[in-house]
Amino acid sequence: MQREEKQLELTLEALISQVADLKNSLVSFIYKLENEYDRLTWPSVLDSFALLSGQLNTLNKVLKHEKTPLLRNQVIIPLVLSPDRDEEIMRQTEGRVPVFSHEVVPDHLRTKPDPEVEEQEKQLITDAARISPDAAQKQIQSLNKMCSNLLEKISKEERESESGGLRQNKQTFNPADTNALVAAVAFGKGLSNRRPPGSGASVQSGQPGAGAIIAGASGMQQVPMTGAPAQQQPMLAGVQMAPAGQPGKMPSGIKTNIKSASMHPYQR
Amino acid sequence: MEAPPVTMMPVTGGTINMMEYLLQGSVLDQSLESLLHRLRGLCDNMEPETFLDHEMVFLLKGQQASPFVLRARRSMDKSGMPWHLRYLGQPEIGDKNRHALVRNCVDIATSDNLTDFLVEMGFRMDHEFVAKGHVFRKGIMKIMVYKIFRILMPGNTESIEPLSLSYLVELNVVAPAGQDIVSDDMRNFAEQLKPLVHLEKIDPKRLM
Repeated sequence: MQREEKQLELTLEALISQVADLKNSLVSFIYKLENEYDRLTWPSVLDSFALLSGQLNTLNKVLKHEKTPLLRNQVIIPLVLSPDRDEEIMRQTEGRVPVFSHEVVPDHLRTKPDPEVEEQEKQLITDAARISPDAAQKQIQSLNKMCSNLLEKISKEERESESGGLRQNKQTFNPADTNALVAAVAFGKGLSNRRPPGSGASVQSGQPGAGAIIAGASGMQQVPMTGAPAQQQPMLAGVQMAPAGQPGKMPSGIKTNIKSASMHPYQR
Repeated sequence: MEAPPVTMMPVTGGTINMMEYLLQGSVLDQSLESLLHRLRGLCDNMEPETFLDHEMVFLLKGQQASPFVLRARRSMDKSGMPWHLRYLGQPEIGDKNRHALVRNCVDIATSDNLTDFLVEMGFRMDHEFVAKGHVFRKGIMKIMVYKIFRILMPGNTESIEPLSLSYLVELNVVAPAGQDIVSDDMRNFAEQLKPLVHLEKIDPKRLM
């Protein structure tokens, strides 16, 4: 007995707080509709609806909670009806219900639905009773199937658009390009002097100023760097250098100098 | 003919050995604007700085297999700037925890007869390119977003064509050796640029 009463009390408190939240969101929604209707956007309206729906959901969950006693078994009976203003009720209802009297009670404490709603519900019940159980079962199954199909389609669409969106975002960089660029900066892969001879170029520029060579034509063939260093490698060193085709071999004096010096050639 | 590893170098005065910590990535042309916006927000509040540089890479071939590489860079749009000579060592094979590529680096400002000097010393130009883009700074970190242009006629920097449809994004820090905490800061910064750009340490040897 005690436990049930405690449970009832707790449930009632939870319900009151949920309903209060719901009321507040309704109030803000109405305010939004009345005052900001010219600035209102559809997503904002959707947000309010989503909020309300979420709150209704939690309300339902509270009602369905296993710790909730069967409220259906409880009966509410007004004990005292008076036509006088009741301050307590005023306070509790924020001024909406000033009097707990004979007019107010039937509206607030009713449990039966409206007559029209009751009529419609009776109609539906008779329709449902008329169909044979097999047909009813078939109808239920087809409804379930259609719902699950629809859900599947929606979730697939959502997944595809998400991955498509991701693919859109991922297109901000191309790893192959990254590698190409890094290789170009690191050792000149794909840059001018490395291109194989294009239009009308000679193979080795052994003779400087050979007539066929147009100045600056990118036709000077470069043997790849990672090859044998002992080979004679004619390389162009920019425009300024007149003696093109200098051999790659160095006088030994310079070589030993560089070898003995540390990294910084001007070290004291 | 690479410089001996840093730990063996005697500290005999002069310059401290500086290391370059590097992370690289790329961004497609169409996403460049969003990247620049993000960088403008993340980086130090400065005037957006663009640059147009012409870089030439010189090689000195010795008897050994690997040539000595020096990079000479000059500014094409800013007058009066010195030429920039740079040496970059081999990437240090650190532990996997190091998030950035680390290599020895020496930076020297020179006058504009650098190419003559290098050729006289025996260097030969291996390749050149033009880099055009933006540079941002955040503390000691420098972020460069630039497009590499291939030079069609050697020496003629007017006739250039882009190498690819992407911009190269580099995050680098030049700091004294041994400050590995720098690479953690770099990684945190790189996280903030995802998923627009994936900055990672790319070993150039893998791409040869």
